[in-house]
Amino acid sequence: MAGAPYGQLNLDESPSWGSRSVDCFEKLEQIGEGTYGQVYMARELKTGEIVALKKIRMDNEKEGFPITAIREIKILKKLQHENVIKLKEIVTSPGPEMDEHGKSGGHKYKGSIYMVFEYMDHDLTGLADRPGLRFTIPQIKCYMKQLLTGLHYCHVNQVLHRDIKGSNLLIDNEGNLKLADFGLARSYSSDHKGNLTNRVITLWYRPPELLLGATKYGPSVDMWSVGCIFAELLHGKPILTGKNEPEQLNKIFELCGSPDEINWPGVSRIPWYNKFKPSRQMKRRVREVFRHFDRNALELLEKMLTLDPSQRISAKDALDAEYFWTDPLPCDPKSLPKYESSHEFQTKKKRQQQRQNEEMAKRQKLQHPQQHARLPPVQQSGQAQAHSQHWAGHNNHPMGNTGQAPLTTGGPSHHQYGKPRGPPGGPNRYPPGGNPNPSVGGYYPDRAGGQGGVGFSSGPYPPQPRAASASGPRGASGGYGVGPPNYSQSVQYGGGSGTAARGPNVAGNRNQPYSWQQQ
Amino acid sequence: MADFLTSTHRSKWIFVPQDLKEKYKAANHRAKQMLEKYGATRVDVDLDGSLAYPELQSDVKDNAEKHSRSKPLKIDEEQLLRAFYEFKIQDVCDAFKFPRKIQATALIYFKRFYLQWSVMEHHPKDIMLTCIYTACKAEENHVSAEELGKGIDQDHQVILNNEMVVLQSLGFDLIVYSPYRSIDGFIDDMEDFIYSNNGQLQHLKDLHETAKMVADKTMRTEAPLLFSPGQLALAALRRSNEEHQVVDFERYLNKILSRQHPARPVSELTIYLNAIDQLVNKLVTPTAADMKHIDRKLKYCRDPGSHEKSKKRKHRSKD
Repeated sequence: MAGAPYGQLNLDESPSWGSRSVDCFEKLEQIGEGTYGQVYMARELKTGEIVALKKIRMDNEKEGFPITAIREIKILKKLQHENVIKLKEIVTSPGPEMDEHGKSGGHKYKGSIYMVFEYMDHDLTGLADRPGLRFTIPQIKCYMKQLLTGLHYCHVNQVLHRDIKGSNLLIDNEGNLKLADFGLARSYSSDHKGNLTNRVITLWYRPPELLLGATKYGPSVDMWSVGCIFAELLHGKPILTGKNEPEQLNKIFELCGSPDEINWPGVSRIPWYNKFKPSRQMKRRVREVFRHFDRNALELLEKMLTLDPSQRISAKDALDAEYFWTDPLPCDPKSLPKYESSHEFQTKKKRQQQRQNEEMAKRQKLQHPQQHARLPPVQQSGQAQAHSQHWAGHNNHPMGNTGQAPLTTGGPSHHQYGKPRGPPGGPNRYPPGGNPNPSVGGYYPDRAGGQGGVGFSSGPYPPQPRAASASGPRGASGGYGVGPPNYSQSVQYGGGSGTAARGPNVAGNRNQPYSWQQQ
Repeated sequence: MADFLTSTHRSKWIFVPQDLKEKYKAANHRAKQMLEKYGATRVDVDLDGSLAYPELQSDVKDNAEKHSRSKPLKIDEEQLLRAFYEFKIQDVCDAFKFPRKIQATALIYFKRFYLQWSVMEHHPKDIMLTCIYTACKAEENHVSAEELGKGIDQDHQVILNNEMVVLQSLGFDLIVYSPYRSIDGFIDDMEDFIYSNNGQLQHLKDLHETAKMVADKTMRTEAPLLFSPGQLALAALRRSNEEHQVVDFERYLNKILSRQHPARPVSELTIYLNAIDQLVNKLVTPTAADMKHIDRKLKYCRDPGSHEKSKKRKHRSKD
């Protein structure tokens, strides 16, 4: 009874839908590898379109198709936004395709499932880690704004990302930033009665309430991570780099002060508060540690790195912060430099070599997490200065890294930062409605037309930056140093090798099935 | 906002009656052809999730003899069989005390699956279980396959083996909208509409409960493949209101239409609600006894081997 493949039946009617085969794509090269599975860059044979294929690992699954993948698929199909990675389709490779280990045991599905994503050239961490590359302030504002816009959209749609970090923020060569890797994300509602797991979010970006064992939480957990990234971008390296959970908490308290019932009402009722509360009183030092940030940046950072999650700023309010509406304004994504894509030039051999190196580095770093010698952005030092020329004046200073092209070419472009701020923000800085087809930024045209993704109607989230900033002053884009040929691999669709190398991952919880009660 | 309006449910899984007819016919026709050619219709789901179709029997004579015995199910017999297992889905979900949302999701998965497969190809008992299992996963109410299998005395491996074919047949469109949330919403809205005093609040509660029960029935008709969850909800509420007489329904419909679609006449909506009502009126719940004949037929055409065996068994019991 076994055997005849369906095609041989040659019957007139075949099932009219279902998933396509992975054979519709030609795998070009592996661009990421993590606990979750491999990620490949691939070309769709019919259209020539370049995509990313993320393999869903099916082994070690007693419960069939992984619930994490179900969540990710559900959430990605629901979210249609220009700052959220687009899941184009799901393809399968039917039949027994041996995995790398040649395992074939058990009753497990041995075919493979792949999620097909639009291809993105970089991730934020990969970009930031490029030797000699430094972000400009308008560029950081531009990325932060896109991050917050995408995250606000998620939160409005009641999705918590739960793994916001640089390597999950993908960037294409049009300057678009998109949230990716929703493998830990889940839907929530404010009336959600059940408990959620606190074993989420990569340690360095994990908020204090989770570290203290909270199992009821909301969008504010993601906002802490955003704060960490924001500070990291301005500071030039990760800011809270604990090796384990107690150390992470300690680092947070050293920076943000010790929590008590005054600055965080109710903190003493969080499960592990008594276990982890610091023995001595600590002062909040955010302003002191980051005194080199400009005033508006510092003000916003303070609100993001607020210990009490109920007082922490929301994505929506953060988008309204002065920071994004004062000079230098966020630049237009399209004005950002196009960085070389790492993939085209890498031979297979080089990749293997690199992967080995990364493996080594990973092992070393896991033992001794190191801080990255990343270049902080070009910005004014000392007192906050709204005056643009002063700001620009500091631009030509290639901090530290000689030999690399300095950030700006100098010249008259500096004066662009001096443009007036544009129309004063009215009661609402965002034009109502007006959005937007959630089309993917021009790079790869939208193909998944059948998904009903025609513009979520005027929801309460800010769809578009106001015109003044969208067409705002260009960053000094001419002067970026081109990275040296062996810059690190910069695309990871979550859980990539570089990710792991950057610090303890989510305490290993991706390898374990969650307990079903606590999600 | 991502909601029903932007969902795959709306864009891909709402049909017109003619679509459904054609799809059922096509699936039935395909299985029939398979039976004629190969003498069996069962599509095996291998342990690795791949599908295996019946092979051409080498012994043509034997084959001809077999399929003379195995009669394919007719379209209406297939429909009855599905109806039986849809009722079963609610039964099993009740036994596990799953929320209505899961029941509805499992039912919709089941319905969508059989838009492309014949019950002769994949046995509805197996698919029913996998649909429940997958609905639990998708609705964040996870139950292990083993637990589910145990609870109803079925091999949990079957549940897992069919998961891929179900997910693929659903095109991984896992978010479905059921009428229950819409009913809750309309009830909330009616509270303001009738400026309720306490007495009326109790009536509203009754209206709510009955409407949910009507919706349970509606979910077993074809209506969820034809109408939006909001329409299903209004039809259930209208039916419930006929019993309880809590609101002036016509006026209520007018009110919500004027708010949401001022250009659309109530009469148009009423046509939809009437159509849903008719489907609910026509709903039959086959009993196990009704199923006996169809079940036997199904067994024979899925796998004539079992026919032989059962015949032999019969012989033996006679001896």
